[in-house]
Amino acid sequence: MIEIKNIEKYYANKGVKSYILRHVTTSIKQGEFVSIMGPSGAGKSTLLNILGLLEEPTYGEYHFMGEDVTAMKERQRIELYRNHIGFVFQAYHLIDEMTVAENIEAPLLYKKIPGSERKSRIADVLDRFNMVAKKDLFPNQLSGGQQQLVGIARALVAQPSIILADEPTGNLQSAQAEQIMDLFKKLNQEEGITIVQVTHSEKNAQYGNRILTIEDGVIKEDKATRLE
Amino acid sequence: MFKLNLKIALRNLWKNKGFSLINIGGLAIGIASCMILLLYIVYELGFDKANKNYDTTFVAYTNMEANGKVNSWAWTPGLLAPAIKEKFANVVNSSRSSYPYPSLISYGEKKIKNRAIFADPSFVKILGFNFLSGSEAQALQNINAVILTQSLAQKLFGNENPINKTVKFDNTEPLTVEAIIADLPENSSLKFDYIMPWKLYEKKQTWIKEQGWGSNFCLTLVQLKDANSIDQFNATIKNFYTQNDKNADNELFLHPLAKWHLYNEFENGRPVGGKIDQLRIFLILAICILLIACVNFMNLSTARSEKRAKEVGVRKAIGSSRKALISQFILESTLLAFIGTVIAFILLEISLPYFNNLLEINLIIHYNDYKYWLTLVGLIIFTGLIAGSYPAFYLSSFEPIKVLKGFSLKAGSAFSIRKVLVVFQFVFAGCLIVCTVVIYQQLNFIKAKPIGYNKGNLIQMAAQGSLQDRKKIELLKQQLLKSGAAQQVSTLSMDLDQGGNNTSNVSWPGSNPKESILFNERGIGYDFINTIEGQMLQGREFAPEFKADSNKVIFNEAAIKAMGLKNPIGTVINYGDTKCTIVGVMKDFVVESPYQKVAPTIFYPAAKNSIGVILVRLNEAKNISSSLAQIDAIVKDINPNYPVDRRFVSESFEEKFQDERLLGILSNWFGGFAIFISSLGLLGLALFMAEQRKKEISIRKVLGASTGNILTLLNKDFIKLVAISNIIAFPIAYIIINNWLSAYEYRISISFLPFLIAIGLSVLIAALTVSMQSIKVAKANPVDALKYE
Repeated sequence: MIEIKNIEKYYANKGVKSYILRHVTTSIKQGEFVSIMGPSGAGKSTLLNILGLLEEPTYGEYHFMGEDVTAMKERQRIELYRNHIGFVFQAYHLIDEMTVAENIEAPLLYKKIPGSERKSRIADVLDRFNMVAKKDLFPNQLSGGQQQLVGIARALVAQPSIILADEPTGNLQSAQAEQIMDLFKKLNQEEGITIVQVTHSEKNAQYGNRILTIEDGVIKEDKATRLE
Repeated sequence: MFKLNLKIALRNLWKNKGFSLINIGGLAIGIASCMILLLYIVYELGFDKANKNYDTTFVAYTNMEANGKVNSWAWTPGLLAPAIKEKFANVVNSSRSSYPYPSLISYGEKKIKNRAIFADPSFVKILGFNFLSGSEAQALQNINAVILTQSLAQKLFGNENPINKTVKFDNTEPLTVEAIIADLPENSSLKFDYIMPWKLYEKKQTWIKEQGWGSNFCLTLVQLKDANSIDQFNATIKNFYTQNDKNADNELFLHPLAKWHLYNEFENGRPVGGKIDQLRIFLILAICILLIACVNFMNLSTARSEKRAKEVGVRKAIGSSRKALISQFILESTLLAFIGTVIAFILLEISLPYFNNLLEINLIIHYNDYKYWLTLVGLIIFTGLIAGSYPAFYLSSFEPIKVLKGFSLKAGSAFSIRKVLVVFQFVFAGCLIVCTVVIYQQLNFIKAKPIGYNKGNLIQMAAQGSLQDRKKIELLKQQLLKSGAAQQVSTLSMDLDQGGNNTSNVSWPGSNPKESILFNERGIGYDFINTIEGQMLQGREFAPEFKADSNKVIFNEAAIKAMGLKNPIGTVINYGDTKCTIVGVMKDFVVESPYQKVAPTIFYPAAKNSIGVILVRLNEAKNISSSLAQIDAIVKDINPNYPVDRRFVSESFEEKFQDERLLGILSNWFGGFAIFISSLGLLGLALFMAEQRKKEISIRKVLGASTGNILTLLNKDFIKLVAISNIIAFPIAYIIINNWLSAYEYRISISFLPFLIAIGLSVLIAALTVSMQSIKVAKANPVDALKYE
């Protein structure tokens, strides 16, 4: 599904290049659940952003579902967002002015999905996440865990082939974090959605089936997790 | 999508009530100001366009060279209208009409003084009045006919049917009402209440038939078949007067009826603008006020960009295109503009009667005119687009990763554009302050300028009916003086403060026959100087003890100067066909425009011509209202058939300032609005700045800064902007106002004062606005802001 080859990223400041990523080469297959780990500033988030087309690599090749994305125009990139990639952010990033239901509806609107189908999909997702009672609340009326659930619901509702999650439990208490990770695992195993997450927690990383460790912009380790 | 965006926009408005209030309030005031000005412009542009043939009708103008310049008038010889129609195939119709003069019309016991004109039958056909009853085809054919306007008919007849009833004109002529026409719209140059046949005019004023091609006394309207070739036609008719009479050296040209009101100034016999220039100023003012309100919106929206940035980032990450975001922001601003317009509408409806009263015009909203609604919708869309454009493009340009990564916007670019916008607002405000102050200074200067006589406590009464009899006037004078109500009484051949007859038919020893001087001519009664409290510089005024005064004349100072006479007293001149001796030189006094130099004037004894008005100097020692009542009783007694028609000279003199007064009022009000809207914008910006710098301020406070220090810090930036704005505004204002002033012969020189006022006022307003907001932040407990970090 994802092929990256020799990805490099650096910022040039007054002639001095500061590298974020160096010679990163890897591939992620359909249905994998990958955790990216590493110390702060190692380049984990940058790698995830590059995978999510939010940032462009300075050098290197990137093929998403067989297509070269480095040459993509904005319009095509937006199409990818609409149809294949779902984001989950550490700070949830819900739109404050929208209710829970509206937040979930937003990606469907951009996909131009007809109203009746939108309604059924939203109802479906709300039902699955046990949030039907909260659908008319605004994000600031929810707890952090609930907000993140909405964030995941929003990513899922567009039926993406991959979910990119940047420290999805970073702001959550452990009980809530567990709930979220369980959900990810279930999505991965039951629905075959590819998931890439960045995490600090060894425990969370164990939910996936592969761990990619990055240090100083270089992949140090790429191993499968213990099978339970 | 649209529905959701609309919902979100409304929620956003509700959530940020303060911002919304400032934004909508500013927009509403801006739009309301713009609409009032546009209504006024439409009103002025619509002048005379209600007439059916306005696009093919022209007003004949006479160019006359005198005093070294060309004077252009709409007054023409009575011979012109018939002759021009006969001579040129291009002329469809032509008509003569007289100056509308308030005259008495009565039906039974009802006596009303209203504006009367005499006109040819073709006058009615050319202008195409709206006949409510009676026929247009037969109008004014009969010598004893009269056409009334609806409101006059209502006043005279009430609910009776006026057709074929007999009314009396001037208590003498019985006239049959043959038609009723709808009232003329407020914005027509020709204003009258009833029309009588030209033939009747000729019968009553026997002098008319004797007038040749050199005497200009009537208005000539000409309707052309082909109005497009007007320049060619004007070239053909230029010397029409001379072609008919070798001695008539005036030139003729036709001025479009549609331009009559707005293009009312002439130089060298050609129209050079006039009122249209003022209108253009108002149009610019209207657009600028709207722009200022839009700038507010832009400023506040971009200032809030940090709050909106996250939304932009998220929307982009879940698949929104930039176009969708732009249209969302434009939708928001259009919604705001719409709400603003609704409020503006309410403001407009409330304030319109007040403005109409203030400006002495009648602006109305044409609810059933689609053009009005179209303009309104256009205004909303225009405002929405302009106001929303910058925020839309700016906000939608955020890259999602930057805003989502717990971002900070660089203060640089957006902030400098906000600065430019604030500067723009205050440049405009500064210009307006300077201009308004100068306009007021000029107005006060002209008002305070000595006019050469004392217009207070002076009344003038039209001499009509039995008061045209010299003996009755003498009787009136004696009675008024005896009663003690009047101190002095005199007469004048026409209103003291109105233009009137003039002549260039004067020659004197040493006069150059090629160079003609145009003299106003006025007949004055005895005690004229004492009545108006004027002054004789040399010689004497006319007095009963000098028996042979009938061939004596008095000139004013300006005339003597123009004639170049060293020792005027005793000089014999030719005045028309008679030889007259100069017996006195009167000090100049203002008759027509207080802005222009006093015209040369020749005064002859009243005995020579009819008396127009009786001037009465009230006794200052007595109560004015009882004096007036006394005067009214005496006049009524001597002249029972006419209502007493008296006015204070000071009141009618005030009308001369109408144009400038209007300009002053409008620039004052709308200047005020512009400043108010600008400071609203500033308030919003300060609100935001204080919010944004909360942390910085808290740290400074922890480090020991006082509230005063913080206020200075927050104010400094804004004051600097306002100062820069003023520096930019001053040269612009100077050029504009200097240009405006140059149209006046008497004008003030531009002093530092308006500029000082502008800078003082704008700095004061800015400081107040900014402090009002920032004092809250400066006084806040630093912990509140710091503990969140």
